[in-house]
Amino acid sequence: MKTKSNLYRKEKYFGYLFILPPVVGFLLFTLYPALYSVYGSFTDWNGLGQMNFIGLDNFKDILTDDFFYKSMFNTLFLMIGIPIGLVISLLLALGLNRKIPGTTTFRVIYYVPVISSLAAISILWQWAYNGDYGLVNQFLDLFGIKGPNWLANTTTVKPALIIMTIWKGLGYSMLLYLAALQSVSRSYYEAAELDGASGFKMFRHITWPMVKPVTFFLVVTNIIGGSQIFTEINIMTPTGGPEYSSATIVFYIWQKAFDNLQMGYASAMAVILGLFIFIVTLIQFKMNERSSFDVD
Amino acid sequence: MLRQKSWLIVLASVLMLSLVLAGCGGSKKNSDPNQLTFMFRGGPDEQKAYNAVVEEFKKDNPGVTVKVIQTTGDQYATKLQAAITGNSIPDVFFYNPADLKAYVNSNILLDISKYIENNKEVDLKNMWADGVNFYRYDGKEVGKGALYGLPKDLGPFSLGYNKTMFEKAGIPLPDKNKPYTWDEFIKVNQELTKDTDGDGKLDQFGTGLNVQWALQAFVWSNGADWIDSTHTKVTIDEPKFIEALQFFADMQNKYKITPAIEQAQTLDTYQRWMRGELAFFPVGPWDLSTYDRELKFDYDLIPYPAGSTGKTATWIGSLGIGVSSKTANPELAAKLVTYLSASKEGQEALVKSGVQIPNLQDMAKTWAADTSTKPANKEEFLKIVTEYGRPLPGQYTYNAEWYDLFFTDIQPVIDGKMSAADYVKQEQPKMQKLLDRAVEQDQKSKK
Repeated sequence: MKTKSNLYRKEKYFGYLFILPPVVGFLLFTLYPALYSVYGSFTDWNGLGQMNFIGLDNFKDILTDDFFYKSMFNTLFLMIGIPIGLVISLLLALGLNRKIPGTTTFRVIYYVPVISSLAAISILWQWAYNGDYGLVNQFLDLFGIKGPNWLANTTTVKPALIIMTIWKGLGYSMLLYLAALQSVSRSYYEAAELDGASGFKMFRHITWPMVKPVTFFLVVTNIIGGSQIFTEINIMTPTGGPEYSSATIVFYIWQKAFDNLQMGYASAMAVILGLFIFIVTLIQFKMNERSSFDVD
Repeated sequence: MLRQKSWLIVLASVLMLSLVLAGCGGSKKNSDPNQLTFMFRGGPDEQKAYNAVVEEFKKDNPGVTVKVIQTTGDQYATKLQAAITGNSIPDVFFYNPADLKAYVNSNILLDISKYIENNKEVDLKNMWADGVNFYRYDGKEVGKGALYGLPKDLGPFSLGYNKTMFEKAGIPLPDKNKPYTWDEFIKVNQELTKDTDGDGKLDQFGTGLNVQWALQAFVWSNGADWIDSTHTKVTIDEPKFIEALQFFADMQNKYKITPAIEQAQTLDTYQRWMRGELAFFPVGPWDLSTYDRELKFDYDLIPYPAGSTGKTATWIGSLGIGVSSKTANPELAAKLVTYLSASKEGQEALVKSGVQIPNLQDMAKTWAADTSTKPANKEEFLKIVTEYGRPLPGQYTYNAEWYDLFFTDIQPVIDGKMSAADYVKQEQPKMQKLLDRAVEQDQKSKK
């Protein structure tokens, strides 16, 4: 220990200095608010004035709050889009990984939604889903189908949102899959070919296991993101949809906190949501650990 | 060991630093006596108009700088709340009158009475009494006591009709002084709901009203309301209320004078009205500039059809301009409020942008008498403001959650899948529970 040079010590402090900004950022903008909202969840805070400690009352109320369950259910329901989106983006990535003309153009086209503002996209889709003049229904009209007013109907509003979120996420997932596919060594396929493996077998035994880390990453981040879906809902169905059928948990939290002056109650729901995400992610990591294997 | 220790030291110092920073953020105060921050919201037209008026204000008050923070309508509530929570409330800001009680109880708003009532440049009597009373609160009731702001504007929600359509159909024009009875209203609507191009599909309808914004006219004119006079009991289960709600739903399901169920959302009926496919549609002052540009037909304003009381009814919306209780320059801040809300210069500029009616009575009368601009019967707006308009029920209470719930669940009634009587029976207890909670919150926050 004593033999460490002066230079080393200097370097070490510079090192800390360099990581200081993100660490401070984390403490200030993530940890502090998080702890604050945990504290808030035990109070009757209205978001304006003083906070009174009320123990577990908020949590007790949540247990009997129909809208909490409804918005939680909606949030989970919208996650149906996650596996669908992953399958489509993997297929797309496989397609775009081939040496055919125009792949770059397609990659760009699929990536455009990712870099666009979510608010702008939501407004565009809101127009597209318009029951009378919307693009979607005009298209269906070509085949003689009378489309519903997508966002104003309890049965169609969720599928409509799922379709939009899948579309929005495709480019991002596809790009990661593409990168993973390109890092798979050709030699595996050549060896498999020599052994007489079919295309599907090659996919099952080589491609799928090789892109598994990406799939894992995408599933985890998508579920975390999906639990927090808000902007699309707030713009496309500002009242939470017909009979609250498209309101997600974050939407409900936001309404309680900002419209109804119940910041404490909203904080309690946020704490529950945070725990939920934490547990789900933990389970995923455990499952991944069990089924993972190393490829050298 | 050493490594671990120094890491701890760094962590500790970072924590301290962050706490200090967080503390700074909280206690930051604007001490420049000539500087104001002004936060407001609005569409592009309104933002332009308000920025111009603020520039005028600066010109009239040399040396004063106004830092403007503007957002779109849907982001405003969140941003204002964040500013309040973060203890950096703008000196002057728009707020929803429904939040008045909560803001005053929590000491967010400054009582600006002394700056307004003793100010020779402000003629409160020339302003709409209702508009000013929206922002009075004596600690118990809204509408009395000290002034916690002035109205940005008043939004009387009137009913318009497509005059050209009536003339084409040869139907006598509605009387602007005598509202239709409900029966008459249905009859006229049925005459105007038809297939005009003979393709077997209806393409012209009587009306298409959004329940959230138009039901009030029917409920109130039938002598019912959402809440009792003490503002503690939800009264939607009274027969007169049920009758009005059922009538509203029947317009679509029984009388078939509106576009079919799936198409009956606001946006669509708004577009249909703009295309000239609807005979009746609500008109707010904020629509006037758009209608001026886009409508290819002539329209005018009439009172809403009247229910069993025989008297027409509708609501007035408003948005307040208040001053932060933490401001360093209360006098200057109040001056900006009066400039925006009550001064001739300010109002002239804002009215010209075509998004509001004047706050000043004399200016409003001249504006309404000007027949060169549409609609001809602008007087109706003023009647709503002076005679029969009311605030929305959620405005009386600490929060409007109980009232919003009514509209969250209502679609099955509008679609004819549930009767109004069944609906109110199911909904009243739920709404009452939320209202009780709002009342309780109100009392708690006064401590």
